[in-house]
Amino acid sequence: MAVVLAHGPTLKLKKFRKQLLIGTALIVGIGTIALLAWLLYLDRIVTKQFEGRRWTLPAQVYAEPLELYAGQAFGADTLEAELQRLGYQSVDNPQRAGSYRRRGERIDLMSRRFQFWDSLQESQLISVTGAGSTITALTDQRGSEVPIFRLDPLLIGSIFPLHGEDRVVVAPDAVPPLLPAALKVAEDRKFDTHHGINVLAIVRAAIANVRAGQIEQGGSTLTQQLVKSYFLDNRRTFGRKIEEACMAMLLEVHFEKQDLLNAYINEIYLGQDGGRAIHGFGLAAQFYFGKPLAELQLHEIALLVTIVRGPSYYDPRRHPERARARRDRILKLMADFQVIDAKVARQAAAKPLGIVNGGSNKGGYYPAFLDLVRRTLQRDYREADLTEAGLKIFSTLNPLIQSRAESALEQELARLEKARKKKVPQKLEGVVVVTAPQNGEVIAMVGGRQANYAGFNRALDAKRSIGSLVKPVIFLAAVESGKFNAASIVEDAPVEVRLANGKLWKPQNITKEFAGPVPLVRALSQSLNLATVNLGLAVGLPQVTQKFKALGLKQEPPQLPSVLLGSLDVAPIDVAQLFNAFANGGFNTPLRAVRSVLDGAGKPLKSFALEVTPVADTAAVFQVNQMLVQVMERGTGRGARAQLPSGLVVAGKSGTSSDYRDSWFAGFSGSHLGVVWIGYDNNTPTGLTGASGALTVWSRLMSGIATTSWSAPQPETLQPVTIEYASGLVARPECGEDVITIAVPQGAQLPVKPQCESGLRGWWDRLVH
Amino acid sequence: MKTVIRMVALSVVASACTIPEPYRAPTPPQSVPSSPGSGPAVNQPEPTPAAVPEPQPAPAPVREPTLSPASRALVAQAQAQIAAKNIPLAAASVERALRIEPDNALLWIELAKVRQAEGNHAQTENLARKAVSMSINAPRTQSAAWQLIADSYRARGKNLEARDAQGHADALKR
Repeated sequence: MAVVLAHGPTLKLKKFRKQLLIGTALIVGIGTIALLAWLLYLDRIVTKQFEGRRWTLPAQVYAEPLELYAGQAFGADTLEAELQRLGYQSVDNPQRAGSYRRRGERIDLMSRRFQFWDSLQESQLISVTGAGSTITALTDQRGSEVPIFRLDPLLIGSIFPLHGEDRVVVAPDAVPPLLPAALKVAEDRKFDTHHGINVLAIVRAAIANVRAGQIEQGGSTLTQQLVKSYFLDNRRTFGRKIEEACMAMLLEVHFEKQDLLNAYINEIYLGQDGGRAIHGFGLAAQFYFGKPLAELQLHEIALLVTIVRGPSYYDPRRHPERARARRDRILKLMADFQVIDAKVARQAAAKPLGIVNGGSNKGGYYPAFLDLVRRTLQRDYREADLTEAGLKIFSTLNPLIQSRAESALEQELARLEKARKKKVPQKLEGVVVVTAPQNGEVIAMVGGRQANYAGFNRALDAKRSIGSLVKPVIFLAAVESGKFNAASIVEDAPVEVRLANGKLWKPQNITKEFAGPVPLVRALSQSLNLATVNLGLAVGLPQVTQKFKALGLKQEPPQLPSVLLGSLDVAPIDVAQLFNAFANGGFNTPLRAVRSVLDGAGKPLKSFALEVTPVADTAAVFQVNQMLVQVMERGTGRGARAQLPSGLVVAGKSGTSSDYRDSWFAGFSGSHLGVVWIGYDNNTPTGLTGASGALTVWSRLMSGIATTSWSAPQPETLQPVTIEYASGLVARPECGEDVITIAVPQGAQLPVKPQCESGLRGWWDRLVH
Repeated sequence: MKTVIRMVALSVVASACTIPEPYRAPTPPQSVPSSPGSGPAVNQPEPTPAAVPEPQPAPAPVREPTLSPASRALVAQAQAQIAAKNIPLAAASVERALRIEPDNALLWIELAKVRQAEGNHAQTENLARKAVSMSINAPRTQSAAWQLIADSYRARGKNLEARDAQGHADALKR
C-alpha cells in the first residue's frame, strides 16, 4: 500500500528519471490498491452470497400419496408400476428403504421414511397380497394386519424462482459416499489438498487441448466450477478465468472442503427441461432416475458424474451411446484409483443407463398443475417464502390420472388434425381438468398440448365461450323454481326477443329445425337451443344468472338473453368449479390443489380443509343429473358409449361456441369430473362440435382410468315415472315408444299418452286399491 | 419464517370467521299444477294431465352404511385426535377416509363432528346436510346427521330451526 518515493541528485536527467520513477510507482501503487479493492470486493461477494444462497430452498411439491388397504381396487401389477414410478427397486430381499420383491400376486416392500403433514412414518416392511384387481391383505413385519398404509408420495417439482433454476437440495447425509469419490476421480483428483486451483491440471489440460486441437479437458477444480456456476456467466474469456481462480481461492480460505463439496452437489447444472434448468444432484436423480439421490446405485452415480462434464453433450436421452461410453470410462477410472473393485466396476458397466420415461413428460414435470399450486399459495405466502424457505407442499395431483389425461389429449388432438382435409398452419390446443367431485380436489390438469412446457396456462387463464355448457344451470334454475320438472313439456319453437338496444334477437337451433313440444330431459340431452331459450325466459334471466354465481362461478353473468345460449367466457378451471357442484349433488366445495404445507423444519404450517356449502336444492340437482345421464345415453354425449365400459353410468354435457371456435365437454362419473376444452389460441374456428372434439378426449380419459358409476340416492320427495323420450308423455313401458324412467316430484301433473292412459290408470289403481 | 407463521395464523383465523351462510334453495311445491298455457314457453299438449301416484310402488329397503376396516382405523385415529384437541389432524384423518369412501354418509358425519368439536357450527351443519342427502334409505344414519344439524342450530341460538331439525332426528329414530 505504501508508495515508495525516490530521492536523488538535482541533475536534470536525474530529475527526469525521478519523475519517471514516481510516475511508475504511482501507477503500480494505484494498480495495487485497485487490485486489493477488487479482491476485497470479490471476497465480499464470495462470503456474502455463498453464505446466503446456501439456504435457498425452493418449496417442494408432492403428489398425493398412494393409499394401500384391503379392498383397494388395484392388483399387484398396478402396485408394481406405482412402485417403479416412485423409483422403488426390485430386489431379492427388500431390506433397504425404497426396494421391493414381487412373488406372483404378493409384493413385499420396504417403505421409505417420510415426514407427512400429520405424522412421521418410519421405514417399514409391508406385505401386500392381491387377487386380480384388488388388494386382499396388508400385513407388517410380524404378520399382523395393517388397516391402511400410505406410500411416500412422488416429488413432482418445486416452486423455483422465476429465473428458472429448479433444485432439490440434499443434506450431506443424504449423499451416497460414492458420489463425492466419483466426482473427485473424474473432475478434480487433488480436491482434498489444493487451495482452489490446480496449476498442474491447468497446464496438463492446456497441452491436451493443444494436441487435440479442441477443448477436451477442463482443468478446472470443483471449486472453480462451483464459482463459475454460482457467480459468473458463461463467457469464456481470459479475464473471467482470472476472476474465477481468485474467487475459488477466496472460497477455500473461508470455507471447509466439506461445505464446498456439498454446495457443489446442490448447485451444479445437470440438464435442461424446457424453461426449467435442472440444478444439483438431488433433482437430477429425480429427473433422470425418478428416485432420491440416496438410493442411486453405482452405475447411476457414474452417469450423473458423466453429465456434469456437459449436460447437453452427454444428455443420456439424446446421446445415450456417448453418455454410456463416458460413464463406463468413469467406472474404470474409479477402479483404477481404487475407489471401487475392478469387478464391481465391470458389473456396473454391464448395466443399462436406466433412465426413466424418455417420453413427452420426462421426470414427471407438471407446470400447469404447479402453476395452480403456486397461485394457491401466493394468497398466503410471499414469493420469497415459496422459493427459499424450504416448505413442503402436499398437493392433490394423481400422477397416474395426470399421465392418462396428458396422453388422451395428445392422442386425440393428433387424430383430429390428421382427419382434417384442409391443412391449418397452427396447432389445435387443448385443456383437461380432472377433479374428485366430493372433496373438490384437482387431481390432474393439462394446460396445453405440450404438457411439460411451462407457458400460457390455458386451464387457468384461457377464458373462452362455453356454449351449451350453460344449459344445465338454466335447467337447474327452472326445476328449482318449482314450475318445471324433468318431464315437463317445453316448446322448441321459434322465439324472438326485443333487446335493450331495440334490436330483435332470433336464436336458432344448430339444425335450423324445430322439435316442437319436448320434455325437459330431451331438450337438454339433445341440446335444443330454442327450447332452452324459452325455458330460460320463462324462469327469468335474474334467476338464471344468480344460479351461476350460487354454483361457484366467480362473477355473475350479465343478465342478457344471449347468456342462455352460452355467450359467456369462462376458464376451464372455473367450468370445473361450476360442474363440480352438479357432480357433488348440489354442494359447492372450493377446488383445491393443495392439502397442506409443512415448514422447512417439518412443522405443520397450514392445511386447506374440506368445506362444503349447499348451493342448490338436492331434488332439483338430482333431476338435472338424471337429464345429464340421458345426454350420455341418447343425446349429444352418446358417442362416448362405444369407448366407455358397458354399465358405467356417467353424466355430462357438450358445448360448442358460435362458428365452432370452442369445443367443450364437461362430464362426471361417481368419482371423477373431467372438463375438456379444444380450440385454437387465436380463436379461429375449428370446425369441431363439443361432441366431435372434446368428448373424444373425455371418453378416452374416462375409459382409461379406474372410476365408478354415477349414482345418488333418489330424494324422498321424488318419484320415478316412465315417459316417452321424444314426446314426454307418461306411458307404460310396453305401450310407449322409446320409454325412459325418470324421477319427478311426487304429485307432479304430467300429460299422459292417450292410448296408454288406461295402462297408467290400471297401474295406479292397482297401487291404490 | 416468523412472518409466514403469523400470516398463516391470521388467515386461519380470518377464514374461520368468514364462513358464508349456507345457500338455501327455494323448496319446490310438492304438487305442480301446470295449467295449460301458464307461461309463454310452456305448451301443454292435448292429453289429460294426471297426478303421479303418491304411494311409492315399493319402499326402498333400509340400507345403513358401514365403515370399511381402513376407514374405521382412520376414524378411531380422528377421535383420539379430537380428544387430544388436535382438530386439524383429526380433520386430515377423516378426509383421508373420505378419499377412500366419498359416498359413505358416516364419514361426512364424522367430519361434521370434527367441526363441531372446533366450534365451527356453520360447517357442522353443512357437512351434516351433505350426510342427510346421502343417507336417504338409512334412517339411523340420517337421524344422526339431523341431530348434528339440531345441535349446530342450538349452539348458534337458532332455537326454532333447532326444534325443527330435532323433530327430523327424532322421527327417524322411530
